[in-house]
Amino acid sequence: MKNSTLTILLIALLICTLSIISIFSSTYQRDSQAWQNIYQRQILWVFLGAVLFLILANINYRRFWDWTYLLYVISISFLVLVFLLGSVRLGAQRWLRFGWFNFQPSELAKICIVIFLARYFSRKDTHSVSSLTEKYGFLRALLLPLLFVALPMGLIIEQPDLGTGLIIFFLFISVLFLSNAKLKYILTFLGLILTLTPFAWHFLRDYQKDRLMVFLNPNIDPLGAGYTVIQSKIAIGSGGFFGKGWLSGTQSQLRFLPEAHTDFIFATFSEEWGLLGALVLLFLYYILIRRGFLIAQRTSDHFGRLLALGVSLMLSIQVIINIAMNMGFAPIVGIPLPLMSYGGSSVFVTFISLGILANIDKSRAVF
Amino acid sequence: MTRIRITIWAIGLTFLLLLAGLFNLEVIHGRVFKGLGERNCIRLLSQRGSRGKIIDRNGVVIAGSRMSYDLMLTPQEYPLPQESIARITRVLGKNQKEAAKALERKYPLFSMPVTIVSNLDLKEAVALGQLRLEFPYIAVWDNPVRSYPYSRAACHILGYLGQIDRWRLTKLEDYGYKTKDVVGFGGIEEKYDFYLRDEEGGVSFQVDHRGSMVRTLGFKPPVNGKDVQLTIDIKLQKIVEEAFAERKGAAVIMNPYTGEVMALTSSPGFSPEFFIREDNSLVSRIFNDPAAPLINRAIGGVYPAGSIFKLVVAIAALENKKINRISSFLCQGSLRVGKQDFKCWDTHGQQNIISAIAQSCNVFFYRLGLLVGAQIIHDYATKLGFAHSTGIDLPYEKQGFIPSPLLRKLSTLKGWFDGDTANLSIGQSEVLVTPLQVARMMSVFANGGYLVTPYITKSIDGKGLDRYRKKPEKLNFKQENIDIIKEGLRGTVSYQGGTGSVLSGLKVEVAGKTGTAQAPPKQSHAWFCGFFPFKEPRFVICVLLENGGPGYNSCLIAKKIIEEMLIQGLI
Repeated sequence: MKNSTLTILLIALLICTLSIISIFSSTYQRDSQAWQNIYQRQILWVFLGAVLFLILANINYRRFWDWTYLLYVISISFLVLVFLLGSVRLGAQRWLRFGWFNFQPSELAKICIVIFLARYFSRKDTHSVSSLTEKYGFLRALLLPLLFVALPMGLIIEQPDLGTGLIIFFLFISVLFLSNAKLKYILTFLGLILTLTPFAWHFLRDYQKDRLMVFLNPNIDPLGAGYTVIQSKIAIGSGGFFGKGWLSGTQSQLRFLPEAHTDFIFATFSEEWGLLGALVLLFLYYILIRRGFLIAQRTSDHFGRLLALGVSLMLSIQVIINIAMNMGFAPIVGIPLPLMSYGGSSVFVTFISLGILANIDKSRAVF
Repeated sequence: MTRIRITIWAIGLTFLLLLAGLFNLEVIHGRVFKGLGERNCIRLLSQRGSRGKIIDRNGVVIAGSRMSYDLMLTPQEYPLPQESIARITRVLGKNQKEAAKALERKYPLFSMPVTIVSNLDLKEAVALGQLRLEFPYIAVWDNPVRSYPYSRAACHILGYLGQIDRWRLTKLEDYGYKTKDVVGFGGIEEKYDFYLRDEEGGVSFQVDHRGSMVRTLGFKPPVNGKDVQLTIDIKLQKIVEEAFAERKGAAVIMNPYTGEVMALTSSPGFSPEFFIREDNSLVSRIFNDPAAPLINRAIGGVYPAGSIFKLVVAIAALENKKINRISSFLCQGSLRVGKQDFKCWDTHGQQNIISAIAQSCNVFFYRLGLLVGAQIIHDYATKLGFAHSTGIDLPYEKQGFIPSPLLRKLSTLKGWFDGDTANLSIGQSEVLVTPLQVARMMSVFANGGYLVTPYITKSIDGKGLDRYRKKPEKLNFKQENIDIIKEGLRGTVSYQGGTGSVLSGLKVEVAGKTGTAQAPPKQSHAWFCGFFPFKEPRFVICVLLENGGPGYNSCLIAKKIIEEMLIQGLI
């Protein structure tokens, strides 16, 4: 059973290697030493992440059942703290400073909400296979958990970080779907959301509206909001089949592509490694996600299964939205590519989630 | 379980969609995006070579090239800092507000160095160059431009330079011409633009997102254009131009044996320099001038030939044996043809061919023309090179026109009357000729019966063009007939009543023919065409004064020219 742990760690580390290579490439031409050394920091994050992974893989995931509400409260208080003390970067208040480490509480909130949802929709009795949700009425199946989810989601969207907020919302819907909630409820709920969307438009910030408009037609404002999409598409497209080669991507290195080492690292990577490289990367992500679902499928514990599903879903939603946004298929929202984008919080949370996943598979035999 | 399956399938499908999207971006549209990527980061800063020089027959530069200095700014930030604007305008001595506005307008948001002010003089260039110490984005760039050491001299031969127009661009695109290229308009600059033009070189370099240079990718040195040597003697050209003193007209001086043009002028002239300076008010003044200074009247202006045309009638009659040396007609001041009286300008009495040429007797030639017939006159005129272009290597040459009974019938279905023949005989009617055509005709008599093809280019890039020239064409006139006409031509100058007797006092024997071509309602055009020295002709000269009165006026100009040539020892 150690197998799963090793496979997951191996795939994750492989992706991280590609990440470090790309981060190095996108920053080595910068003037300042601090920028050039950014890849070293990522190596540190990955190393610490791997340690976290191994720790989590050895903590019985059932303990999270007991810690759920504690974790929930902790993440909410961090989000509130961000509001009060957070540092403002790129026009958003998303980070908390811990000494030399900038921590992004919304990343932590994601995993906490996954744990919360898994707990909410399952029962402690491991022997019962039947799901609770099927018996729940509208109120308990939908409204109550929605209130729990809406609180952190609202706080995150107010940062403003529409992307992470939307991911949490997606997570909620998909966990609802996977925990066998009545389809009727889900559809009603979605219908309600759709009718409310036009009103939501007014609550969006101007830059968010711009981005949505630009997503529909990037040529409206090629030097303003559309610039990033166009440059990102150029970066990916100019890679061709074999790519331009490592350290030879002009788009990322000459800084035509903004955020080349964070949100748009996929474009940086594709420019230098081409379709071939992107194929490898997508394959690695796919088998990682597939592994997650596999673990969920063979876990009989209801909480464990929902947790595994939640983690896998969280991963796949982020990967898909980020890559789609790099290619201009999705509006630009600040979502990092897990394990690829530069950033400690994202790396840590991803490794923690994978650690939980590994432990679910490991603990399976115990029950 | 089924819901998990559905989710797994959905995720797998999305991954496939992403892959398809990637394939579309990177493989199907890869080339387009690659091009866009290169356009993003590769910049080309062009460097011009100098245009080929145009030199005269002795190697004196008529159109050369000098350095011009341009003020360039490499945009770094926007807007342009006020302080540097102030400093730049102070050096240029311009109104600060206006200049600042102009600077702002040309100052772009992105990357490439832009020319803000061009054609600085050396002092300004040095002063601005020093500003570079304080404002590193200022640069003074040197750039070869045309210079004209003789200012307006030979302007029509040279032509002028300007930005390529759409019509020329569509024609020349295949030869590597691009928009905004500077090309020749008119004259040698246009005719031999392909040789004169320089090959653009430049530096290509990589820039980052802010447009500052990262590294140089390549350098191609510019290649200078090839020099063109003319057959013009600039000293002679100056003499001729000064003789005109801005009166409307044209003159040609040509070697009668080879057809090499030694001076060719059209008046009024223009300053080709104005087109370089891109001073719109000066240029538009040239374009709107009613005197049409841009037209090269020597080859592009057509005028009635007047009495000059009598030589055509004379040679036609002699060659067709209608008359001989001693045949004579009586001039009583006019001749009745049909129902109309055709006047002579004087009453000459008994005239033979020689005195008729010398005194330009109209009545003699009315009779002679009627004797020969209009169609034959037309044929001889064409033989002598009228009604088609001479083939000189200058653009925009006009063909002129010689009427004939046949042509009139074909084109207007009207009849031809004897009156028309009489008119044709003295070069009126619809006869239209260019000064160069007249000079070419005169060469035939000067050189003993050869029709030459005039040319003005001696060599290109040091290589002679003799191989490509048309040989003089023998017209098979009888030597004795030519001699008779030559005698008449000499008589014009040497006889007491000769129309060109004003030229008799010169130290060189001149022969020629005057012409006073009616151009109602304006004043008549004054012609003089001749050759000298009479015994061994070395120069054919043709002078035309547009609306300049009687032919006598042109004789005065010719006299001035020949006198000056004698003084400067050019003969």
